[in-house]
Amino acid sequence: MVRRQLTVPTIARAVLKYLVLALAGAWMLLPFFWMFSGSLMTSKEVTSLPPPLLPAQPQWHNYADVAQVVPLGRSYLNSLLVTGLAVVGILFTSSLCGFGFAKYDFPGRNVLFVLVLASMMIPFFVTLIPVFYIVKQLGWLNNYAGLILPSVVSAYGIFLMRQFILDIPDELLDAARIDGASEFRIYWQIILPLIGPALATLGSFNFVTTWNAFLWPLLVVQSRDLYTVPLALNSLRTYGMMAQFQHLQMAGTALSVIPALLVFVALQRYFVRGIALTGLKG
Amino acid sequence: MSNRLTVADVTLPLAPVRRRLLSRRALWAYLFVSPAILALLLFTVGPILFTFWVSVHSWNIIEPIYQMPFVGLENYRYLLTKDAVFVRALRNTFVFAICGVGINTVLGLLGALLLNTRLRARVFWRTLFILPIVTAPLALGMMWAVLLNKNYGLVNTLLGLLGLPLQPFLSSPEQALACIIGIAVYQYVGYYIVIYLAGLQGIPQEYYDAAAVDGANRWQTFWHITLPLLRPVLLFIVVTNTIGALQVFDIVFAATTGLAGETSGGGPAGSTMVVVLHMYNTAFKFFRMGRATAMAVILFAIIFFITLIQLRLLQERR
Repeated sequence: MVRRQLTVPTIARAVLKYLVLALAGAWMLLPFFWMFSGSLMTSKEVTSLPPPLLPAQPQWHNYADVAQVVPLGRSYLNSLLVTGLAVVGILFTSSLCGFGFAKYDFPGRNVLFVLVLASMMIPFFVTLIPVFYIVKQLGWLNNYAGLILPSVVSAYGIFLMRQFILDIPDELLDAARIDGASEFRIYWQIILPLIGPALATLGSFNFVTTWNAFLWPLLVVQSRDLYTVPLALNSLRTYGMMAQFQHLQMAGTALSVIPALLVFVALQRYFVRGIALTGLKG
Repeated sequence: MSNRLTVADVTLPLAPVRRRLLSRRALWAYLFVSPAILALLLFTVGPILFTFWVSVHSWNIIEPIYQMPFVGLENYRYLLTKDAVFVRALRNTFVFAICGVGINTVLGLLGALLLNTRLRARVFWRTLFILPIVTAPLALGMMWAVLLNKNYGLVNTLLGLLGLPLQPFLSSPEQALACIIGIAVYQYVGYYIVIYLAGLQGIPQEYYDAAAVDGANRWQTFWHITLPLLRPVLLFIVVTNTIGALQVFDIVFAATTGLAGETSGGGPAGSTMVVVLHMYNTAFKFFRMGRATAMAVILFAIIFFITLIQLRLLQERR
């Protein structure tokens, strides 16, 4: 490339560039800033006109108070359990099935794979009512099975895993077979360690989607004992309509977004690749 | 490739034995694919057939499925001729998708071009734009509903400081849908940026070097090199996001239900009602499963049509 010289237009352009970035960045942070700031205010401060940018005295007890209004601690445990099991389930079924498609020849393979590809094109809302009915008939309404089991399979996950496993040389599997390894042991001890990055991509992606899922839990869960974090947040939202609960709503919102943010920061590289590979469904 | 001779095949001396062992491997394969395939059949393939079937019946989800009265295309006729809310929802959904995707297609490209220049702390800037993607749409909808509150919201405070007239935002039928679009633009712009960035980084540097040698200016380089080479990425982004946007639910639910006594959401005065929200209300508030599934089928048909266009365009490229 042509070496850049420090002329006035170059400097002006650089200043403009960072100015635009800073303004856009401030806009991206604005809701988060206001959520955290407001979560530490008194209810008077947060609804005063004009509101102060920062609380005069940080009200840390808001975070404890919010647990009095909705069962946030219990919701956290539920969400962790549901999200954890769903992610492990998706990783397991997807990699196992992808392995089957990638490395074995069996009658009906192509038909079944077309079935997977077709399932990838079916949006969630089209199957919502039947899946609700099936879960109801199975007696899974208002329990963990109903929350978790419908989301332990992902057609896209199967597809992704198959693509990754196709790249693993067959000789590796044959060598293991000569050593007397069973087919499942090949999956467990050879395939799984080799597809770590793919698992991280699929896992971080599904963690965020499952943690944030709202519509399905809203349908399946009736009792507060089974609330996931978005459901607790939703019931806080109805309180938040009243001005005196506004600050608590913001504290609850802040608590709810932290886990997904942490997973994202820890696995950012894989997550970003996941987006580049596919796309989040909105 | 799958029929390739393996070491195991060569080392086995007798044909009958080999066949038996191969089928043993096929059995393992069935074992490996069956959990996922069965789950897909139960939770995706079966349900979509069921959706089509219910959409030509009248059903309240409680009566047994073998007693559903068949009504032919009555549900579809009702939706398209008598259900004003559905027609409104369909229109709002289209406006939402076209505006949201349109704005972000442009903003995302600008953002990616900016982030693709020589930049300090690029990952930091990129992270700022991705934060809203990993945040629950429900939480974001709530955060923005607070910011856009007409009485004590921060945005109106800012407008006041700038000497501009205060706006009713989500509480006005004229502005509410625009606010929802704005929230969606805010949430998904980072997603576009990441995909564009991947596309930009896939363009070989040689093209730019050659253009520089030929004396092309920035605008010419962008117009004749970057944009044509980004075409497949652009197409992918527009199609996948239109499909996603047509399914919007959480943001609308979070920002509009319960507002000013609107229990079913999509307010004020139906100005932000979208198809999936109306489907949800029809199915789980009024238990009209026939109509709700018919809505799902109509929206799915639209999405399917868009997918076909995508496949057609991708084939033309080859």
